[in-house]
Amino acid sequence: MVAPESFEAENGRNSNSNSCNQVAIEIIKLTKRFGNFTAIDDLSLVVKYGEIFGLLGPNGSGKTTTINIVSGLSKPTSGQVMVIGHDIMKDTRAVHAALGAVPQETALYEELNAWTNMSLHADLYGVRGPDRNRRISEMLNLVQLYDRRSSRVSTFSGGMKRRLALARALLHDPLLLYLDEPTLGVDVQSRRAIWNYILDLKEKEGKTVLLTTNYLEEANALCDRIAIIDHGKLVALDTPIEMKRRYGDTVMEIETASYVSSQLLEQLRKISGISRVTQTDKILKIAMSGNDLSATGKLITLVSQDSIIRRIAQREPNLEEIFLSLTGSGLRD
Amino acid sequence: MHILKMSPAYRFISVIWAMALKDIKSTLTERAFMLTSIIIPINFLLLFLLFALTGGQAPTAVVLKDNGPYAQQLLSAMEHSHSFIIRQTTASDAQNLMQKGQIVAIVTVPANFDAALKHGSQIELPVVVNNLDVDFTNDIRRAVPLAITSFYADAFPNQVVVRAHEIDIYSQDTGYVQYLVVSLMVVSVMLGGLLQAGSNAAREYEKGTIKELMLAPANPWAIQVGKILGAVILNSLSVAVVVIVIVFLIGVWPMHWGELLGFVLLLMITFVAAGALIGTLIRRRQAVIPLSIGLSIPVFFISGAFGPAIWGDPITAAIAQLQPVYYGIAVFQHAFHNFTTTSTGPRVDAFILIGFAAVMVTVSAIALGRSRGRGVAH
Repeated sequence: MVAPESFEAENGRNSNSNSCNQVAIEIIKLTKRFGNFTAIDDLSLVVKYGEIFGLLGPNGSGKTTTINIVSGLSKPTSGQVMVIGHDIMKDTRAVHAALGAVPQETALYEELNAWTNMSLHADLYGVRGPDRNRRISEMLNLVQLYDRRSSRVSTFSGGMKRRLALARALLHDPLLLYLDEPTLGVDVQSRRAIWNYILDLKEKEGKTVLLTTNYLEEANALCDRIAIIDHGKLVALDTPIEMKRRYGDTVMEIETASYVSSQLLEQLRKISGISRVTQTDKILKIAMSGNDLSATGKLITLVSQDSIIRRIAQREPNLEEIFLSLTGSGLRD
Repeated sequence: MHILKMSPAYRFISVIWAMALKDIKSTLTERAFMLTSIIIPINFLLLFLLFALTGGQAPTAVVLKDNGPYAQQLLSAMEHSHSFIIRQTTASDAQNLMQKGQIVAIVTVPANFDAALKHGSQIELPVVVNNLDVDFTNDIRRAVPLAITSFYADAFPNQVVVRAHEIDIYSQDTGYVQYLVVSLMVVSVMLGGLLQAGSNAAREYEKGTIKELMLAPANPWAIQVGKILGAVILNSLSVAVVVIVIVFLIGVWPMHWGELLGFVLLLMITFVAAGALIGTLIRRRQAVIPLSIGLSIPVFFISGAFGPAIWGDPITAAIAQLQPVYYGIAVFQHAFHNFTTTSTGPRVDAFILIGFAAVMVTVSAIALGRSRGRGVAH
């Protein structure tokens, strides 16, 4: 889907910045304070064209505030945000023309039907002409809601509303999409469908996607790179694979009959190739780097000397564990 | 190619129309609220009308013990004094009505009334008053001597030395109710406009849909003007009902229909824009309703609702001139009765109202534009 040249110029698509510096969004030393509370603290990061970038963090970490500033809905206390080569504070309208947004609360007119919602969006974004209705139909078909086009949005399920919000965000063929918690409150089946749409946007249409999520599994499945923020600060920024590698290549879970002693935990931590050892509910979680079989054998021997082993499992580390190791706390609700 | 390049003017107009249609459709889905915004202004009109119709006149029983021509003439003078609701009855029935609290006073015309008058003798006219409400009691105290004076002036014109000679400024007399309903119409337009537009604007924030508007590359002026247009169209329903009640039920016919329609439109724009501003600033529908009513009542009272504001206290009159209801009442009184109730006159008043409308539209559009910076997120 290629937008006409005239629209690119009119709506702020800066082909120069697109092809040369490859930066879709640049956040420079961004700070946002609400009175004495600092929601974002000197945050800097870059989102490249064509990537799916995840902003990850617990509730209240500053994700939505960041995204609100990036989309021009809120003013920063200090710092600068450049979106597709435009300063968001100076060229807000140019940025908005190139931005498709799915806010957390969807911002759909639930008292109106799906078609009317799409139609209003078309008018607000200047999508006119003979193909306007065809384009609306196309987007509703994409999210499999064309048959429900005359139904009031209030009768839709959470997943259907999210899909409609996504179709609406795509209607004006934006360069950049921002999705704030795109699968919040959505059932597993709808979540998978939404993930597929998002992946298709990148793979088939080359869209840049900035998303926030609380779900580590979602970030893992969708994102090329992840920024973890907590208390408004950037805690980590990398690809999901690199983040896992930093934590450890594999995690061994050993369920024991009783709690193991603290001396054993200290002993295990000293074994070469073991980066992290924790014990929760008689389950030992041991993060290991590389595939050192001797280390594996050694730790099993040591644990069995201290307690009866009930179960052993080996798996990849998940982002929950990474998040915990980086922030020292779990995801807050 | 689904996106066409269009002129900024065309795009501006298309956004206005899209917003107006959207607000009309949204409001039509909330029928209970729509009915409320029509009923409240009409309720306001009827409430004050009833107050005016019943509150100004004291229910009074007249016991005629003499049925001679002078006694009848006194009764007629009382009936035409605009101070009493007369019930001619017997002495015992009058006592009963007084006991039940249904009348304020009993005026008894004695049996020798006509004869005594003919002989120039002194007559005692017993008046029994119910002092439950001192305001009514005082009305009776003032009105009975006035009615008697009026009776004397008609019955014995040669004996009454002082008699006011009226020169009419206007070609027609206008009753209290006829004057008041015009003022009530202004406040109904105000209340309807504030409620309709205030609720439409606040709903966007309550439901989170403001983000769709704030994220669009559309001019906030076009968005707000569209919302104002939608609310004006919706508000026309309640205004039409109010006009029908005033013209066809109460029988107050406008002298200048063209002026009336023009001023109604001008006032609707002013108050709808004010409502949009309130809704944008306070962002909660629950607060819009009491605030609209709370604003309308005091403004109504100080703006010359019962008589020209410039006849009243100079400080109150000066305050009244700072807001549009004062000029609204003035231009409506001109449209209905050809009255000039301000020192500035209807032409200048109309220009002042145009200024108010322009300021309200401008400020409400600026407020919407600034809400981007203030943050619309939860």
